[in-house]
Amino acid sequence: MNFLERQLEDPVRFSRIKRWFYIGLAVVALAEIVLPLMCYLLKLAFEALNLPALAELFHTHPPHFWFEWIPAWGSLYGLASCVVIIVVSKFLGKKWLMRREDYYDS
Amino acid sequence: MILDYLNLEWIHPGLLLILGAWVLPLLNGWIKRSAMLLLPAAAVAVCLRMTPGTYGEVGFLGQVLVFGEVDKLSLIFSYVFSIMAFLGMVYALHVQDDAQHVTALTYAGGALGVTFAGDLLSLYVFWELMAISSALLVWQRRDSTAVAAGFRYLLVHIFGGLIFLAGIALYWSQTESPELLEFVKMEPFADGAGWGPALILVAFLLNAAVPPLGAWLPDAYPEATVTGAVFMTAFTTKSAVYVLIRGFAGTELLVWLGAAMAVYGVVYAVLENDARRLLAYHIISQVGYMVCGVGIGTALALNGATAHAFAHILYKALLFMGAGAVLQVTGLRKLSEMGGLYKTMPITLWLYMIGAFAISAVPLFSGFVSKSMVISATGDVHHGAWLVFLLLTLASAGTFLHTGLKLPYYMFFGKDSGVRGKEPPANMLVAMGLAAAACILIGVFPGLLYQLLPNDVDYHPYTLHHITATLGMLVFTALGFFLLLKHLDPEPKISLDTDWFYRRGSSAFVALTQRPLARLEFGFVGEIYEFVIRRLVLGVAGLMREFDTRIVDSTAVGVGRLTQAISQILRTTVSGNAQHYGLIMVAGVLALLALTMFVL
Repeated sequence: MNFLERQLEDPVRFSRIKRWFYIGLAVVALAEIVLPLMCYLLKLAFEALNLPALAELFHTHPPHFWFEWIPAWGSLYGLASCVVIIVVSKFLGKKWLMRREDYYDS
Repeated sequence: MILDYLNLEWIHPGLLLILGAWVLPLLNGWIKRSAMLLLPAAAVAVCLRMTPGTYGEVGFLGQVLVFGEVDKLSLIFSYVFSIMAFLGMVYALHVQDDAQHVTALTYAGGALGVTFAGDLLSLYVFWELMAISSALLVWQRRDSTAVAAGFRYLLVHIFGGLIFLAGIALYWSQTESPELLEFVKMEPFADGAGWGPALILVAFLLNAAVPPLGAWLPDAYPEATVTGAVFMTAFTTKSAVYVLIRGFAGTELLVWLGAAMAVYGVVYAVLENDARRLLAYHIISQVGYMVCGVGIGTALALNGATAHAFAHILYKALLFMGAGAVLQVTGLRKLSEMGGLYKTMPITLWLYMIGAFAISAVPLFSGFVSKSMVISATGDVHHGAWLVFLLLTLASAGTFLHTGLKLPYYMFFGKDSGVRGKEPPANMLVAMGLAAAACILIGVFPGLLYQLLPNDVDYHPYTLHHITATLGMLVFTALGFFLLLKHLDPEPKISLDTDWFYRRGSSAFVALTQRPLARLEFGFVGEIYEFVIRRLVLGVAGLMREFDTRIVDSTAVGVGRLTQAISQILRTTVSGNAQHYGLIMVAGVLALLALTMFVL
């Protein structure tokens, strides 16, 4: 039994992994909202305190498009993309593209 | 000239592989295996030692061919092509099939030839060499589906090659210096450009697998041998990206083709059941980023396309090696038949996952530092920059969804199929390990890759915003995957692509046109035959017969009769008695005497 097998086969450990996954989701989404804001505020604070070297440390490259300013943009767009890709592709597949495996043989 | 070309000032690394490959069948055992590694290693060394300049100019039939156009762009592509040839040979080290090794090295050598080609004619020669040698790699799986797929692959590429040749001919007719067809940037849509550059562009797009010209890729790659497919992922599409960068940087059409292509590959990957075909659709998707970068055409975008090609060759080879390892030990290629392999193939799983993280642009892996350059460059698109950005980001989510989640889930985890593989041969694991190390090295130290890029651009991938947004996108894509998991179960089906037109379309076309054609045949053509051709022919034949019997025959009979009559007369003089002949001789002598006496 290797490491992964121990983690996945045991229901207690598996539900623990699941819990960590959900915590990870929350942390990442929060980080995406809070960290850039925090950096921006710290930069302003250090600039106000006349410490340009430290202010430079917290300089962030601003995003290019307006929608990237939406809080947790990456997380929201990631989830939306995933759902759209699956739903649209499956729809196209069922209605049009998918065929029997021997389609080209007959 | 030839000796100049071969002297030590400049060695063509492609020629080294192409000619060196033929030594392999003569060797045996460990000597052969060392030669298999030494050849591509020597090619890497030759590429690394090269300095920018123009080498290998050869005069041929009054034409100047340039085999060694060396600059930063060709150098970085030559590095990754030769490194890839080395990794591929490590992966194929256990294969006891000389033909495969010779064709694989020829194919890699062809790609290096394309990379250093300074004129269109030598480019064309290596272009065709790549098409033929890669078709051989498909055939060498030696079963009926592979043979059929190889023929389709070859026909498509011969078609592309003919378009390329036509483009060259038209371009040639307009060029000012016909003795040297230098391969430079072209303007296919400029006034007075003619059809030449446009046709060349189409040929390049066909090799880059841009839809609707790209169905050959997912058709053929999964049919190649386990080791041959690893070579195929690297060279054809990426050498096409390279020539697009050289010839068509900043062609706006490519921005949209690239963005559409990135999404197209992802859509098909949802439906795909064959593991290697799923990965093949993701080659199309990833090459979409590069084509898009070429279309944007700024210094950053071209650096992005180049860097992404470099990173892509390594992680895609790693992914194909992983799927190939599973195929090698289990004989399975369909996801719907796999599952539970993580228990017996953990090393393959982890190495595969490094490639999956790299293609998904997870921070600290190579895709993160290369793909982001192209996506950052979308800000410079003139019209609809936001849409290109959204499409490419959507395709990024789709890439992680399939290569990072769906494929490993159904291959290694998921429902236990009861199939128990074992780890593949050590050389395959070593090749995967080397490729995985390269993916991490580039991700952690992007400067190593950036210093090789053709343009000097100050770019920093690891910004706070970029890291947080990417992580957010990735983990929430994972959430979406697990929420919709039951809809994603791979189905034992195949999906229609544009190869339908030459696989079924032709027969459907025949079936569709059969009835009207038959009607035309028996009705119209038949009537024409009956009343026009037959009568005419019979009439003419009748006249000829008449002429034959009346004139020709009677002439012949007349001549015969005349001859008979004359011979009757002559017969009377030929009695068979010697005294008669003597009499005739005496009469003749007397007549001659009389003639001489009276006439002269």
